[in-house]
Amino acid sequence: MVLVLALGDLHIPHRAPDLPAKFKSMLVPGKIQHIICTGNLCIKEVHDYLKSLCPDMHIARGEYDEDSRYPETKTLTIGQFKLGLCHGHQVIPWGDLDSLAMLQRQLDVDILVTGHTHQFKAYKHEGGVVINPGSATGAYSSITYDANPSFVLMDIDGLRVVVYVYELIDGEVKVDKIDFKKTATASH
Amino acid sequence: MERVVVNNKSNQSALVKERVPEWLNNSIWSSNPSANDEVVKNESIQSAMVKERIPEWLNSSLWSSNPPANDDRLLRYASKPSTALEPTTRPPIPEPPPKPQEAEEEKPNDRETRDPPRDDERSSPSISPEDISRQSQLLAELSRKIINLHELGRLASQGIPDGAGIRPTVWKILLGYLPCDRSLWATELAKKRSQYKHFKEELLVNPSDITRMLEKSTGIESDDSKCERRGFLPRSEIPHGEHPLSLGKTSIWNQFFQDSEIIEQIDRDVKRTHPDMHFFSGDSSFARSNQEALKIILIVFAKLNPGIRYVQGMNEVLAPLLYVFRNDPDEENAASTEADTFFCFVELLSGFRDNFCQQLDNSVVGIRSTISKLSRLLKKHDEELWRHLEITTKVNPQFYAFRWITLLLTQEFNFADSLHIWDTLLSDPEGPPDTLLRVCCAMLILVRKRLLGGDFTANLKLLQNYPPTNISHLLYVADKLRARSVG
Repeated sequence: MVLVLALGDLHIPHRAPDLPAKFKSMLVPGKIQHIICTGNLCIKEVHDYLKSLCPDMHIARGEYDEDSRYPETKTLTIGQFKLGLCHGHQVIPWGDLDSLAMLQRQLDVDILVTGHTHQFKAYKHEGGVVINPGSATGAYSSITYDANPSFVLMDIDGLRVVVYVYELIDGEVKVDKIDFKKTATASH
Repeated sequence: MERVVVNNKSNQSALVKERVPEWLNNSIWSSNPSANDEVVKNESIQSAMVKERIPEWLNSSLWSSNPPANDDRLLRYASKPSTALEPTTRPPIPEPPPKPQEAEEEKPNDRETRDPPRDDERSSPSISPEDISRQSQLLAELSRKIINLHELGRLASQGIPDGAGIRPTVWKILLGYLPCDRSLWATELAKKRSQYKHFKEELLVNPSDITRMLEKSTGIESDDSKCERRGFLPRSEIPHGEHPLSLGKTSIWNQFFQDSEIIEQIDRDVKRTHPDMHFFSGDSSFARSNQEALKIILIVFAKLNPGIRYVQGMNEVLAPLLYVFRNDPDEENAASTEADTFFCFVELLSGFRDNFCQQLDNSVVGIRSTISKLSRLLKKHDEELWRHLEITTKVNPQFYAFRWITLLLTQEFNFADSLHIWDTLLSDPEGPPDTLLRVCCAMLILVRKRLLGGDFTANLKLLQNYPPTNISHLLYVADKLRARSVG
């Protein structure tokens, strides 16, 4: 039972001052084992805050990130799953699911986590699953209007993943979940 | 009359109201070996006694655990358990009943660990005649169809011999785990053991599995073959607002995270239990499985008792039970050690729960009141010592008695001795809590000479590192303290 937090596109301080208070009250240290961040934090303070939630943090570089040392893409293995991480501004057209599927095949991962569109998406194709956690602060974007703050928490348990989607709609936190299983014979 | 200053008050006796009875200042008590040798027997003192303030047998110099150098009489009785007055002789660690494969693991070559040595450390022949007779009496009692609890308790309170491996069974009966009617044993054991298994299955499951089981039961199951090859994954509602970051009090996730703090604490304490014993610590798989058993029992207990959860120290109370039951020569019993130990632990702790509950500390049933009960007991039986300890040297009983009482004396003596003390604690008809207080009082009285001569620092040091004593003597003294109305 491994809890993995996926979030990104906070755009602090340029487009948003901070995470929504209701999100912050839920995110306490000690519960989460890994953090996957799609990028565009943008400043070090946010990086430190996320690090305080969980020491194992992985981050990919977004185009506005002030730390240029973040990698463009990253892969990691958690339990039985291979996860890939990329901000998404490099994949054109932005948010195009076929192009993202291509990236996923390139990285050879079961779950690809990308951002940039500020819109939550969970899409399944032959190569695996693409998850976009949206923007954790609901920052404005050139391609999405009225983005709701959202992030994703994955519970990886053996070959099964339960994805909990946290969204702030009209000031209230709404939680949904998505279930999927990986087939035992992983053929990509 | 030769007057040895046993306690400095004897000098004032002529001037003020006599604190120390006259018989106390008899030359008998002098450390001069030329004194009457019959003193070794308690009964001979009676003739010299008048009004008892402190019972005569109590003030025998026998009870001093630090004999003056020139008193070889004391040396004979205080420091060599093998030639003690009482018939029973005990090695430092009881030998587990012969089990060849386990014996290999438990008996290391180094002498520093206190494991049962292969060779007999006892100077006398392996089992004394009294031991054998008590053993056979116990076996006889145990083999009866309906066991007489009172009789069993009486026999057990004199000490259960280690050799025959009857201690596990006797303890289980005394703690009420096994009924007195032998014919019911099989059904009772089966029932309890399966109950424990249910507890484990229910309580040791993590929230992921719980949600999965809930889904299965409500029929929502994501069937892979039904899913399309491509497409947006369907979002579904979560049952009861249960998600991992939930802060709700009733949320299983929240409870899980709160429990994991306790589990971490239990884990730390278990690793520190009896580090000198191979049974409990070390890298062997045997030690690890025992530690694991300790941990699981404590976790199940903590989850079943949300009022008291886990308190540091419970691991020490649990350890002797696990040791005794694990070394049961009966293979079937040894295999179900965890379940048996769990229920006996619950039973044993039931009398002492209130000592562990912090909110009850200052109440009528809490640890403070238990300690003051001990204080009153001491005052009743030995007012002089009580006055010296609490008023003159200001040794607050909380400084030493807290550990004695909450940990049931497991930390004050070596492991074998504490098992012997527990024999008495569990078998006394007065019940473990009251018996414990009597034993503690006896511990104080046994070292009264040293205490009366010491100041705050010396006394505290002595009581917090209680010197090794002859346990049979100690229990004999404790027995004598039973509800005596001292004038």
